[in-house]
Amino acid sequence: MLASMAACKKEVYKIPDPVSSLTNDCIKRTIGPNIVGLPIEFAYAMAIPKSQGKIVSAQVEASIAGAASTFLEHRSFYTNSGGVDIPVTIGTPSVNKGATTTVTYSIDTNAATLRYYYVIPEEARGKSVSFTFSATSSDGKTVNYKLGPYAISKMDIKRNLAVSNANNAYISIEDMAVYNNTTLGSLASKIDLVYLYRAAPTTFTHALVSPGSDPAYLPGVVLPSGMTKKTKVRKVFNLQDRNLANLQFGIYIDDKDFQDLSLVDAPNYAIGLRAEAGTWVETADGKYRAYIFINSINAAGSAVISILRYTL
Amino acid sequence: MARYLKITLSFLMITALITACKKDSPVDEDGLLITFRQECFVSNFELLGSDFVSVRSKTAVIDTVAQTIDVEVLFGTDLKNVYPQFSLATDCKLDPKVVGKTDLSDLANPKTYTVVSGNRKIRKPYKLNIKFQ
Repeated sequence: MLASMAACKKEVYKIPDPVSSLTNDCIKRTIGPNIVGLPIEFAYAMAIPKSQGKIVSAQVEASIAGAASTFLEHRSFYTNSGGVDIPVTIGTPSVNKGATTTVTYSIDTNAATLRYYYVIPEEARGKSVSFTFSATSSDGKTVNYKLGPYAISKMDIKRNLAVSNANNAYISIEDMAVYNNTTLGSLASKIDLVYLYRAAPTTFTHALVSPGSDPAYLPGVVLPSGMTKKTKVRKVFNLQDRNLANLQFGIYIDDKDFQDLSLVDAPNYAIGLRAEAGTWVETADGKYRAYIFINSINAAGSAVISILRYTL
Repeated sequence: MARYLKITLSFLMITALITACKKDSPVDEDGLLITFRQECFVSNFELLGSDFVSVRSKTAVIDTVAQTIDVEVLFGTDLKNVYPQFSLATDCKLDPKVVGKTDLSDLANPKTYTVVSGNRKIRKPYKLNIKFQ
């Protein structure tokens, strides 16, 4: 009886207190792994009742100073009826001083949402980064909001490398670069894969073959001396990493994928590659694992690739 | 009154006996239902590469009399990392089971898969012959 009485007790809805002083909120907009050289995006919102004054400044302090291109927007965005984000300038462009990024307001406003782009520096690789967002109002009050820590990936990324048959064909995972006979110089021993295109057999087409592979998979290819590596390669389809695919798709490859990867029995060639296909790669010296994504292909014998690399 | 009680009790006892004597449906060691079906054959065969795309160059030839599956694969297929897929007659099962990535690279010694009928009394081994395009 007592339980049913208690269960039936109605809770009266209480209208939340309106914001009576300077307040703030923040979200992390970026999902997926945090890769050195790429930004982590946040949206930092702050507001103060009009009667209390206006916002004077906003700042973010990172536990590890961001790369030089780190910035806090000096524009606040709102979304119009067409779904388009419209900027409204609220202050001067942000200034980076050490690990702190500051925007000073130049207009009289009591609410704004500023985007913060923390470009991950090399020093943060494999570490964690935390952030303290804060805002100051004209009545001398300050609020802050802490986010993190966020783990920074050990991965490296290189996007949109053009490869072509018998020209820019030599791929080095260590350098994350593509070479041709002219630019190769003395780097032949660094080459992990050779890109080639053969129209026949029809199943060959675009291929990534390690220099030390069976010559059957390097038809008509004369390799420069010193190019002998036997790199392990495994074909993959439907693994379009968002970062490699230029922000398309919703799949992310993370450190753990490379840690768990086993290419023990993988071949050292991948033929018949198509656009949006990819290959897992492990270098012959076991120093690196990588994922090479095929952004696009051209039937004339060229392709655009992107590389995500993990150092073991 | 006592008569009605006796009838009701007798009825309940008979019901209990019938229920108690009902046999459980027979299942095999894999927990699969053993049926009365005697059909025992492979109806279709597919071979997928490490990228889960077919590596066949043409449709596999299944000879249910000779109990062979002949499949031709594309040039460059990595037969150490393939996924065979068998379609079997109703209620059949395969021995050994295909549990994932399979190594079929030993072309000189073709692998044999046995189809077991629904009643689990008929076993037909199929030899899987692979050749390159």
